[in-house]
Amino acid sequence: MPGKNKFLWRDLWAGLALPLGLLAAWKLVSAAGWVNASLLPSPEKVLKVIGDSLADGFLVKNLLISFNRVIKGFLAGSTIGFVLGTWMGLSKTAEKVFGPFFHAIRNVPLVGWVPLFIIWFGFGEFSQVVFISVGAFYPVVLNTLQGIRGVRREYVELGRVFGFSRLKVFTRIILPAAIPSVFTGVRLSLSISWMLVVAAELFGVSTGGVGNMMMDAREFFKMDIVIMGILTIGVVGFIMNQLLAMIEGHFLSWKRKAA
Amino acid sequence: MTEAGKLYIRALNKKFNVDAKEISVLEDINLTVEGGEFISIIGTSGCGKTTLLKLIVGLGGAYDGDIILNGQRVDGPGLERGIVFQDHRLLPWLTVSENIGFGLDAKIKKAERQEIIRKHIQLIGLRGFEKAYPYQLSGGMAQRAAIARSLVNRPAILMLDEPLGALDALTRMYMQRELEKIWKEERIAMIMVTHDVEEAIYLADKVVVMSSRPGRIKKVIPVGLSRPRDRDSYEFIRIKDEILKEFHLEAEKYFSYSI
Repeated sequence: MPGKNKFLWRDLWAGLALPLGLLAAWKLVSAAGWVNASLLPSPEKVLKVIGDSLADGFLVKNLLISFNRVIKGFLAGSTIGFVLGTWMGLSKTAEKVFGPFFHAIRNVPLVGWVPLFIIWFGFGEFSQVVFISVGAFYPVVLNTLQGIRGVRREYVELGRVFGFSRLKVFTRIILPAAIPSVFTGVRLSLSISWMLVVAAELFGVSTGGVGNMMMDAREFFKMDIVIMGILTIGVVGFIMNQLLAMIEGHFLSWKRKAA
Repeated sequence: MTEAGKLYIRALNKKFNVDAKEISVLEDINLTVEGGEFISIIGTSGCGKTTLLKLIVGLGGAYDGDIILNGQRVDGPGLERGIVFQDHRLLPWLTVSENIGFGLDAKIKKAERQEIIRKHIQLIGLRGFEKAYPYQLSGGMAQRAAIARSLVNRPAILMLDEPLGALDALTRMYMQRELEKIWKEERIAMIMVTHDVEEAIYLADKVVVMSSRPGRIKKVIPVGLSRPRDRDSYEFIRIKDEILKEFHLEAEKYFSYSI
């Protein structure tokens, strides 16, 4: 494929330099005994706990529980977001009706919803999924709306030349033209969902999940597990983003140079 | 020249409403286009050439007078009329062959679709580029693909709205030859709007000279030269002078007003 990004070892090393440097500094600090080992355990200790947790399935179990919540919240929020964004994009009336309300509630910070959700839905599973879905909802609405509004009128005119029905104009012209923008929204939405699941598990009372794992560990002052949790969140978020970028690159290869 | 595909334009008037004021864009247009005839329309910007083409295609909305093709008054788009726009308007997410097949009548079955697309790729000389995306094509190639797309439904008449306007001078001359070749092979009527007097004469059986504000047909000049035409021949240059004189007079009139 022309224009494909070339993998460069130099870029990889540049990206790894900072994490490796931090790791070295961490190692140095704990080996020299400059910090209390119960506040900052040594890298080996964290590595060992990661190894053990992978071996006995503790980490994977918690990850899967978190994933389950992320997927539910993300699918619910982004699907509703896509439908609303499309509707507002296609119909001026819909935008007039939903637009002001949407932009008003968008300004409520996500944590601002937490008290309400706790009272309405309790501390449990459902409440947490709703919380994630609200966060997943906004970027998809905004980007879908923008994508559909940005479709060139000339393309729509082309559909009319060929006598396309309104539905066909939508599926064959408007939707494919808006997909790059929708994709941006979906990517944002997924990474927000992943961040929110941890937050949701921190406020909620539920069993399992990476956030819960960290809260439990904190109670028992197991800092190695807390640090493992932070590393896991970062690594999983990074991998998810890379995966979506790959999927995007595959499906939107026509955009490589046009953009 | 065949009787089928004969186009009559009778007493055509078109007005636009701009800021609650009625502006006459086209006034008393009368023109007959024989089946298989090549017409060039030439005129300064704002003479309503593009509006005229759009009305024939069926994209121009309501109008007074009659545009009649195959005995039927034009009222909206139809597959018996095609158009090539100045911007090639290929859809960037589709390959060349997908773009060419984009407007194909939905009733045509898959095997036949493939065959029609293959034939048209051959007609425009883009073999080997079937799977290329528009961003990978040069301006001339993209415009050829756009011409193919407009021909797949075998329209009786093809409108060309300055199709070569965005191309460099050399590509343009080459494309004029290509266009003539395609016209001869397809044996359909073509109406081309252009700014280029030489291009108009090179391709047309009749050159229609239009005047501006409101757009009227000022003169219809038949070009009886044998094809392919020699741009340096005495007759060619004489016709060119005749057309240019029309604009020269108009320019004088304009200056006399401004004094």
